[in-house]
Amino acid sequence: MTSTALSPEPPASWRRYFGFSTDAKVIGIQYIVVAFFFFLVGGLLAMIMRGELITPEADLVDRTVYNGLYTMHGTIMLFLFIFPVLNGLNNLLIPTMIGAPDMAFPRLNTAAFWLVPVFGILLIASFFVPSGPATSGWWSYPPVSLQNPLGHLINGEFLWVLAVALSGVSSIMGAVNFVTTILRMRAPGMGFFRMPVFCWTALAAQTLQLIGLPALTGGAVMLLLDLSVGTSFYRPEGGGDPVLYQHFFWFYSHPAVYVIILPVFGIFSELFPVYSRKPLFGYVYVCLASFIIVGLGLIVWVHHMFPSGVTQWMRNLFMVTTMLIAVPTGVKVFAWLGTMWNGKIRLTTPMLFCMGGLFNFVFAGITGIMLATVPIDIHVSNTYFVVGHFHYVIYGAAVMGVFAAIYHWFPKFTGRMPYEGLGKLHFLLTFVGANLNFLPMHPLGLMGMPRRVSSYDPEFAFWNVLASLGAFLLGVSIIPFLLNMISSWARGPRATHNPWNAIGLEWLLPSPPAEDNFGEHVPTVISRPYGYGTGEPLVEHQAEIERALTLQEANR
Amino acid sequence: MTSSTPRGPGPIALAALAVWIGLLALISVWMAGASLRWLPVQASNAAPLVDGLFSFETGVGTFVFLGVISVMAWVMLVHRAEKYDESDAEPIEGNTRLEVIWTAIPFVLVMAIAWYAIQINTELGVLGPMEHIHLRSPQEQQGGYPGDRLPAEQVEVVARQWSWEFRYPGEHVSSTELHLELDRPVTFRLVSEDVLHGFFIPAFRLKQDVIPGRAIDFSLTPTRLGRYRLRDSQFSGTWFAANQADVVVETAEDHAAWLKQAAAAPLQRGLSVAADEYADRQTNPHGGWPTVVPAPPPQVNAPGSSSLPHDA
Amino acid sequence: MSSTPVPPASPSGAYGEGQHANHNLTGFIIFLCSESVIFLAFFSGYALLRLSALDWLPAGVDGLEWRMPLINTVVLVSSSFTMVVAEHFKGKGKIWLFRGFWLLTMAMGAYFLYGQAVEWSGLTFGFTSGTFGGTFYLLTGFHGLHVLTGILLMGLMLVKSFVPGNYAGGEEGVIATSLFWHFVDVIWIILFVLLYVWRA
Ligand code: HEM
Ligand SMILES: [Cu+2]
Ligand SMILES: [Cu+2]
Repeated sequence: MTSTALSPEPPASWRRYFGFSTDAKVIGIQYIVVAFFFFLVGGLLAMIMRGELITPEADLVDRTVYNGLYTMHGTIMLFLFIFPVLNGLNNLLIPTMIGAPDMAFPRLNTAAFWLVPVFGILLIASFFVPSGPATSGWWSYPPVSLQNPLGHLINGEFLWVLAVALSGVSSIMGAVNFVTTILRMRAPGMGFFRMPVFCWTALAAQTLQLIGLPALTGGAVMLLLDLSVGTSFYRPEGGGDPVLYQHFFWFYSHPAVYVIILPVFGIFSELFPVYSRKPLFGYVYVCLASFIIVGLGLIVWVHHMFPSGVTQWMRNLFMVTTMLIAVPTGVKVFAWLGTMWNGKIRLTTPMLFCMGGLFNFVFAGITGIMLATVPIDIHVSNTYFVVGHFHYVIYGAAVMGVFAAIYHWFPKFTGRMPYEGLGKLHFLLTFVGANLNFLPMHPLGLMGMPRRVSSYDPEFAFWNVLASLGAFLLGVSIIPFLLNMISSWARGPRATHNPWNAIGLEWLLPSPPAEDNFGEHVPTVISRPYGYGTGEPLVEHQAEIERALTLQEANR
Repeated sequence: MTSSTPRGPGPIALAALAVWIGLLALISVWMAGASLRWLPVQASNAAPLVDGLFSFETGVGTFVFLGVISVMAWVMLVHRAEKYDESDAEPIEGNTRLEVIWTAIPFVLVMAIAWYAIQINTELGVLGPMEHIHLRSPQEQQGGYPGDRLPAEQVEVVARQWSWEFRYPGEHVSSTELHLELDRPVTFRLVSEDVLHGFFIPAFRLKQDVIPGRAIDFSLTPTRLGRYRLRDSQFSGTWFAANQADVVVETAEDHAAWLKQAAAAPLQRGLSVAADEYADRQTNPHGGWPTVVPAPPPQVNAPGSSSLPHDA
Repeated sequence: MSSTPVPPASPSGAYGEGQHANHNLTGFIIFLCSESVIFLAFFSGYALLRLSALDWLPAGVDGLEWRMPLINTVVLVSSSFTMVVAEHFKGKGKIWLFRGFWLLTMAMGAYFLYGQAVEWSGLTFGFTSGTFGGTFYLLTGFHGLHVLTGILLMGLMLVKSFVPGNYAGGEEGVIATSLFWHFVDVIWIILFVLLYVWRA
């Protein structure tokens, strides 16, 4: 399968997307498509939840059903949507951005991907076992998660733990692969400080996976043993400690939010320069900030446990470390603003999603500082304030960033241009819908409405109605996106190798690239990324490479 | 941020910037005041402290947020590329002085917030020590409270799937409605008989997880007469949402009268929405998955009510 | 973890299949670092449960017998040395001496597992005997699984050593296996201290 960098046509048919491919670009798209399938499933569950919550009484579904819905919504959205979709982007972008022909371990990559549908089916199957699915939230805190009223060995919680464990295996396989690829397979001349920020953030995020996931796995093994074998690691009757699980869980799951948001910071850092026509402001600081976030991110987990009875000095300590994260994060936000300042801003669909994402992220950052503040957190923890906060991060910033990335790199990997009109409509609906859905959750939390409730006191009705309307709007917002993706992939205008006039190794490949990317002809990198306006070429012989690509496009 | 442009802004631009910043500051101050109205009434001595902190952070946060949004709006309006302008902007790669400034300012800001919060934490700790946890050894189960260092009323709170029971051991009273005396410190002893629960009274701004296998001492002082909601805040299973109770803060006389009346009353079935709904679910099933059976409603002297209008 | 070793002068990327073997070791080391966190989690869980327990030992149990595990420890630790010797001979090209010591290492690993099984069968408490029993079997069992994996890996390497031209593409397999074995060994030393040396 050796081809030159200038292969004339995409090699194989659409069928390769349905088999065990080892090509990172195929796997990347497989990840993204599967992830969006589960996004629809998780979104559907959310719609039913918001339908239930539009009235104070528990009337639409039974309480057990509501509990199953919110548990599965959280689990699916995290383990089957956001992690896979980001791994899809990693697969597409890391090799092409660093000029590698593929991932370091292509077969490991295939295996990691195919585990996703396997545990996805396992999780969905739990809806159909007699016990019903897991109902104790994506935290799955014992002892409530250990309660098994039917006494069956195969129960929803059992399948849930199994699925989460498989997801962990898949993520570790992915992380080993991404880290090795970034460390060992960069193009000649691409030192660390010539590496695109997306790769930096991916490296940082995957490092967190490698450190954090094993702790969750350890904790989950003990949970499974308590549930199925009858040990009592977390059972108070047998001398166990339910709070121990919370430490295991959050030691991973706090870093997990950085696994999600760091690559999105990477996306912002890639896209703001392109659409501002300016270099990334303070590139080196942005790179380093990612790793400062990794270091701090590992020592803040107790902020999720402030009301669980931790001692005062621990509360104060973890409050300080949590607040410190605002500093490297602020460095990044200011870097993006500095990039746009005096730029030549182009409000394309990807840029709109980035700006909307930044807007929501800053808002979430402020509520995040409030949550870090112990006395405030004591009041709002486990209320809708928290649900509002993290949906601003996850939907408002991360999902918007993912959409930005998809619109931006769509031409590169499909060879077709997405439609701008549909894209902008999608942006508008998403931005309005997300804010309408998640902003009202903040007053609800401040007023004292707990999260995870299937019914609530009537004084909360007003804001809940608004939130539900926003949720339905978000549901609608996905339609123009799907239309856009399907129709432009099938019939969209042909994309040139560099439709956005962007700088980066991936834009020196044909759209779509050949299976082995640059093959034997990996260009030598001679300058920093994001050289907008400097006129400096990124690689040796850049002019010739581009001329050849343009010629080839003219001839097709 | 204008300082990073090479030419340096003129006096009019600087004045406009100052006016704008002043305006944002005004809005922020107004938001800080308004934010107090988003919270429930203040019914404990912890509430004003928490609310003060929240109001402060809302003010600071509003300022930061609006500042960032202003820059974004500005670049969108002013630094937009012309329609057919394909050229690049001037390549400014960074500015070390600015980097240092915008690392230092957030650092100082969050450390100031943290310092303020630690003060409040300490004060709250003095008002009512939280998190005094002791492992529950079987001998200790029956009565006997360690360390009465406050002239506090002692209330034992038993959380169950899904009901709250309040015991006043001195008076031999038990209830499913929490009655407290105005301005008198109260020490709760929180225990759970099954899973984790959360003892959360929004009007008091206080919350503490209730952990099976441990007893947690938790103190507060109610400061406002009225009827409030106590809500379970740590997910506890099927009827988690319905696991609520009313908290009545009353004058010393009313409280004494209530205790006296309750002590005279016979034990009767306490409130438990879960038990009621479960019974209904048994007689006319309407779908759903198997559930843990609710604990029988506690037998109490004073069931109280949970359907009267509450202040928060 | 050096940066790209390719000289900037060469226009073609030197990323043939041959280099991939090299990545295997990088990947394996990264994996081992990650794996060590699971043990770290179990160790800290054990310590926390033990420190906060009202009565750690279940009724009728008064501590663990340590003599037999000590012998086991000596055997396992020595096996790390026989492994080093084996690798030394391999470096010298004395393939049969390599195989001999490699086999000896495997035998010592197997003896360790046997000793572990004997110890387990003589115990009066089970997996569900409170947190004491739970953590004991969890830690020793999870470690035992790693020992078993190590032995299987060594067996694989031993078989492969008979394949002609096996070491032409590099010796990562042997290096990785030996890294894994030393890792398992170090974990055991910590485990031994936590379980048997740490007295109430
Ligand atoms: C389609 C738009 C969405 C809507 C309308 C929505 C709505 C909700 C609501 C109402 C809850 C609170 C459930 C409760 O506490 O009772 C919730 C929880 C949650 N959501 Fe979403 N959500 C959406 C998208 C997402 C996305 C994209 C993610 C992550 C990628 C996500 C992750 C979560 C998580 C982790 C929880 C917590 C579940 C738990 O408490 O265990 N949601 N969502
Ligand atoms: Cu966190
Ligand atoms: Cu957060």
